[in-house]
Amino acid sequence: MSSDSTTTTDQDALLRASIDRSLRHPVMFFLTSGAAWLAVSILLGVIASAKVHNPGFLADCAWLTYGRAFPAHMNALVYGWGMQAAFAVIIWLMARLSRKECNAVGTILAAGHVWNLGVGLGVVGILAGYGTGMPWMEFPAFAWPVLLVSYCAILIWSFIQFRVRPEGHVFISQWYILAAMIWFPWVFITANTLLHCMPGHPVMAAGINAWFKSAMIFLFFTPVALGAAYYLAPKVTGRPVFSYSLAKLGFWSLAIIAPWAGMQKLAGAPIPFFLPYLGAAATALLFIPACAAGFNLIRTMLSCPKTLAESPSLRFTMAGIIGLAVLAVAAVLLNLPGSTLKMTQFSLSGYGFDVLAIYGFFTLVMFGATYFIVPRVTRREWLSRRLIKMHFLFSAYGVVFVALIALFGGLLQGAGQEDWQQPWEDAASRAIPYAVASTFSWSLILFSNVFFFLHLALMWMRLGRRSLHPTLLVSSHDAHGSSPHGEEGDIDNAGPGHAAAH
Amino acid sequence: MSSPNHQPDLEDSINVTEAHGRVILEAAAAAREKRIADNGSEPINLWILAACGVVAIIAGGILGGAGKLFSYGSSFREGYVRTPAPGTAESGPQPKEALAAYMAKGSKIYSAKCNGCHGPDAKGDGANFPSLVGSKWVLGETDRFAMIILNGLQGPISTGKSYGAGMAAQGAGLSPADLAGIMTFVRNNFGNSTGDVITVEMAKAAMEISDARANKGLQLTAAELEADHLKALPGEPLDPKAMVDPISLAPIAAPVAAPKVTP
Repeated sequence: MSSDSTTTTDQDALLRASIDRSLRHPVMFFLTSGAAWLAVSILLGVIASAKVHNPGFLADCAWLTYGRAFPAHMNALVYGWGMQAAFAVIIWLMARLSRKECNAVGTILAAGHVWNLGVGLGVVGILAGYGTGMPWMEFPAFAWPVLLVSYCAILIWSFIQFRVRPEGHVFISQWYILAAMIWFPWVFITANTLLHCMPGHPVMAAGINAWFKSAMIFLFFTPVALGAAYYLAPKVTGRPVFSYSLAKLGFWSLAIIAPWAGMQKLAGAPIPFFLPYLGAAATALLFIPACAAGFNLIRTMLSCPKTLAESPSLRFTMAGIIGLAVLAVAAVLLNLPGSTLKMTQFSLSGYGFDVLAIYGFFTLVMFGATYFIVPRVTRREWLSRRLIKMHFLFSAYGVVFVALIALFGGLLQGAGQEDWQQPWEDAASRAIPYAVASTFSWSLILFSNVFFFLHLALMWMRLGRRSLHPTLLVSSHDAHGSSPHGEEGDIDNAGPGHAAAH
Repeated sequence: MSSPNHQPDLEDSINVTEAHGRVILEAAAAAREKRIADNGSEPINLWILAACGVVAIIAGGILGGAGKLFSYGSSFREGYVRTPAPGTAESGPQPKEALAAYMAKGSKIYSAKCNGCHGPDAKGDGANFPSLVGSKWVLGETDRFAMIILNGLQGPISTGKSYGAGMAAQGAGLSPADLAGIMTFVRNNFGNSTGDVITVEMAKAAMEISDARANKGLQLTAAELEADHLKALPGEPLDPKAMVDPISLAPIAAPVAAPKVTP
C-alpha cells in the first residue's frame, strides 16, 4: 500500500470520525431518550395487556385503565421511541452519506428536547383522560403542531446536507431516507389537519385515521428501516448490495403502492365502497417492495457468513428483515376480503400487525443501526457482549411471541365474533390465553430493554470500553483469553497498524 | 496555499506515521470500517418475480371485489342483498318479550327527553322537578300519565305544590311506539313495577285524546286532569311475555294473548 493511498484512507477515516464526533450528542440524545420511552411504552403495554386477562389488576387507578394505558403504550412506542430512533439514524446516515459534518447540533438538541416535552405532555394527557381516541393520534390536540415544528427543526439540516453534498452517486439508503423525511410531514399534516382542524363525517374520519396509521408504518418507519439496512448490510460485510435493479424495484414499488393502503380497516363501514378494497389490495401488494428489499438485503448479508455471525449490527438487522418478510406475508394473509379481513376488524390481529411492523421489523433494524453507530459517535466500544446477546434473544423471541400470538389469537377471536348468535363474551374469552402469553412476552422485552437503556446511557457517558477491538458476538479466532466482553486492548497501548479489520 | 484536496502530494510537514497513528487513536472505529462497495448488478431473481406475480394476482382479485373504483357516492356494493347467516333464516331483528322490548325503546327516549330534568334515577330534585318514583301520577291512571307527557303540566298539583315553571310538552316528534315505550319504561323502572305494558294501540288512543282536547296546545292543569283524564287508556292489554319485534314493537306470530286490535 503506497503512502499516498494510506493518507487518503486516513483522511477519509478522519473525516468520518469528525462527522461522527459532530453528531455525538444529538444521536446519543435521541437514542437514549428513545430507549427510555421504549421501556416506558413496554411497561404500559404490559399493564394494558395484563388488564385484558385480569381486569381487576390496578382497577382502582383511573390513570391506568385500559382505555388510557393502551393508547399511551402505542403513542409512546411510536412517537417516543420509533420517531426518535429514526431521527438518530437519519441525521447520522445522511451526514455520513453526504460527507458533511453537522453544524446545527444546538438547534437539533433543543428541538429534540421540545419533541420529548411534546411526547411527555401528550402521554400524560392521555393518561389523565384527555386522549382524542384516534389510534396513533391520541395525544391531545396541542401536541401535533409541537411535534411537527420540532420535526422540521431536527431534520431540515439533513435536507441541507443532502443538498450541498459533493456531487456524485446517491446511495440506495439516501433514496429511502430522503423519501421518509418528505413523506412524514405529508402524512402527519394531512391526517392532523383533516381530523383536528376541519372535522368532516366521523366515519370518514375513522378511515383517515386508519390510513394515517398505515402510512406511518409504510411511508415512514419502513423506508427509514430499509435505508438503515441498505447501509448496514453492505457496510459491515464489505460486499456490494446484491442487486441494484431489485433495490430500484423495491423502492419505487413502495413509493407507488404504500400511499393507497390503510382503509381496509373500515371494511363494511358506510364509507365509499371501493375504499376498503383498494386499501386491502394495496396492503397485499406491499408484499412486492418488502419481498424485493428483504431478499436483496438477506442475500447481501449472507454473502459474508462469518461477519453475519459476529456482528451485533448485522444480527439485529437480519432479524428485522426477517420480521419484514413475515410482515409482508401477513399483509397478504390478513387482507383477503372473503375470509380473513373481517376477522381483523375488532380483534387482536390488527395490534399484532402493528407490533410486528414497529417492533419486529423497524425496531430490530434500529437496534442493529444503534449497535453500529454508537461506538463511532462515542469512540468507545460496547461494554458487554453478554448484554447484547441477551438483548437480542429477549427482543427477538419476545416479539415473535407477541406478534404471532396477537395475529393468530386475533384471527380466532375474530372468528368467534363472526358467530353473532353467541354472546360477545365467548369471543372475548377466546383471546384470554393469548393475552396471558402476550403479557409474558412483553415482560421479557421490557427486561431486555431496561438493560439496553442502561447500556446506552453508559456509552453516552463515555464509560464504554476504550479498545481497538469491536465488541463482537463470538470471540474472534485469535482470542487468547476468553473475556466475556470481547477482546481487551487499551487504545493507548496499541501501536500503529494494529487496527483490526472489522 | 490550496486545500489538501487539490494537492494530493504530501507536504513535508506531514509525518505519515504520526498521522496514521492519530487515525488509529482517534478514529479507530471509523478507520476499521469497510468501504461501501459498488452496487451489485445481479438480475432480478425469477422466483422473486414469480412470488410478486402471485401476490399481484391475489391483490387483483381483492380489488376486483371493489366494484366501480372511485365512485364516492355508493357505500355498498351494487345490488347488495344481505345473506342470511348459515343455519338461520333471515328474519330481521330477533323477537323479544314485549315488556323487555318496550322498555328498551323507552329507555332510549328517557335518556333523550326526560333525563335532563327528572335525572338518571328519576328522582327529580324535589324543588323544580318532581320524582317519578312511586308517584301515583305515573303508576295510576294511564290516560293522565300520557296527557302529562304529551302536553306538559303547569300550576299547583293536588297537594298544592307547584314545581317551578311546570313541565313543557314532550309530545313533539313522539311516535305512538315511542310514547308506549317511555310510559312502560317509567312504570317499570326506577323501583316502579306495575308489570304491565302500555301498548302502541293505547298510545295511539292517547294521542287522539290529546288532539281532541278543548284547550289543545296549552299545558295541562291539575284541574283539567282531574276532570277529563282520570281513566285508563282504551285498548287490549298485552301479555308482557308475548313476543314482539324490537324495532316496530309489532306482535310476532300472534299468540293467544295478543289479538289484533282495531282502534
